[in-house]
Amino acid sequence: MILEPIRPKILSVQRIPHAHEEVLRAYGANPAKHTSLGLVTCDQDDSTYVALDEATKHALVDVTYARSLYAGAEYSSGRLSGEIIGVIAAAGPTEIEVGLSALIECLEHDACFYHGDDRGEIALFPHVVTSIGHYLAAESGLEFGSSMAYLVAPPIEGTIAVDRALKEARVRVAKLFTPPTETNYMAAWLSGELSECKAAASAFAEAVLEVGRNPRSQ
Amino acid sequence: MSTTRELIAELRRRLGEDEPLPPPAPALPIPPPPKRVFRAVKAQSNYLREAAEHTTALVGIGRVGTRYATEVTLQFQSELAVAQNAVASLLPEGWREAEGFLPLDTRVRDHEEYLLRPDLGRRLDERSLLLLEEHAERNVDVQPILADGLSAQACVQSGSSVLNSLTAECARLGLTVGTPMCARFARVWLQDEIGQAVGAKVAIIILGERPGLGTGDGLSAYLVHSPAIGNTDGDRNMISNIHSRGLLPDRAGVRLAALAKAMLEQGLSGVKLKLPVAATEVDSSAIHSRPALVELVP
Repeated sequence: MILEPIRPKILSVQRIPHAHEEVLRAYGANPAKHTSLGLVTCDQDDSTYVALDEATKHALVDVTYARSLYAGAEYSSGRLSGEIIGVIAAAGPTEIEVGLSALIECLEHDACFYHGDDRGEIALFPHVVTSIGHYLAAESGLEFGSSMAYLVAPPIEGTIAVDRALKEARVRVAKLFTPPTETNYMAAWLSGELSECKAAASAFAEAVLEVGRNPRSQ
Repeated sequence: MSTTRELIAELRRRLGEDEPLPPPAPALPIPPPPKRVFRAVKAQSNYLREAAEHTTALVGIGRVGTRYATEVTLQFQSELAVAQNAVASLLPEGWREAEGFLPLDTRVRDHEEYLLRPDLGRRLDERSLLLLEEHAERNVDVQPILADGLSAQACVQSGSSVLNSLTAECARLGLTVGTPMCARFARVWLQDEIGQAVGAKVAIIILGERPGLGTGDGLSAYLVHSPAIGNTDGDRNMISNIHSRGLLPDRAGVRLAALAKAMLEQGLSGVKLKLPVAATEVDSSAIHSRPALVELVP
């Protein structure tokens, strides 16, 4: 079975309705503007980055802190740690609630990794964000609302596949994360028309599968 | 369906994976319309007071200065959200097959195209035409067609119930009924092509209606005699507001079958049809059972 979805597991969802000023500051929030925090941990970092971004499209929240945890979900520090901690901040708890529900909906219905081989040893994230929110816009330098191919795979598969995606679709690199990253994957944010982003993600996924089948190409 | 899921499904097909993608987590249910209590407005007339008891529409809501009261505005917004959620809902994958419907598709490829291109939603794709040819019973009196229309949520919620009551009532009246089918991304006029393809005398398409405020679960049924591509809306008759606060889904079949029978007897439909009593009489039980969204506290 190839390209089977791997559903992300949301490990913890927490709210701090009135966070301490020092905590707000430490997690990137601005005490003059933000009062409440929403925190989430999940076993898939990239699905969660996409979901955090989705939250900024549904509520007046800012993603003030989002970091992958080292070595990935398989080697996490605790039952609830997973692979990422994400923090959204807002003026009040209501906004946090709306933001969290958009985030959870996105993780449950949209963003996920896929299996890249039969044995479940290669995972990839050939995701297309139809229109990016404020978080990915700020991180990538792209305009709010533009389309993005958010592509992730293990180091060598991903490198070959990004090269292929760039050649097969009319997209340009917004940001390239070369290995090793915190989770030892590599990633690319490509931008272009929606149809081109789809073509890029499709080419990327296909190339990852190919490298997996034929690891020592001649 | 998410953009990524779509492209993965396409890629799997291209790479020769036979199994379809596992179904996505079921969509969250659309909450029922919110129930809010408004304070009585002093200057309110008895007429408005009484009118408000008979409708879920926002009547008799008063005003504050030149504007609506905040709570009325909030109610308006939440009802609008219910309607928008309904338009955005999709038929769950595999639902039609599980319910035993012949699954038909139009020429529309995705939901966005469905909203933007009504013309494509009025025609079947090649595969569905073949399906009809192979599996659909032909030359029937009545061909019922279930469809998502502008609220897949309504179709899933009460479509089967309407269809069952219609089939039962047709059987009672001695009318033959065609193979049950359900079309995705369908517009009303699709009934012409389907009816024509199966040679039905009357085609009835039952589909999610354009949601109004607070009503995401309403179905409409359109009937046409001698369905054929090129029929206009003047050739059709329709019944709307088939939901729990209007015409009850499990009773709608009685009216629909009565209309179909009249069409068969008079050999026409649309504005020229003399409406049978059974299709026009007010089903008073349904109206009185409407829970009022707008309640006036004395």
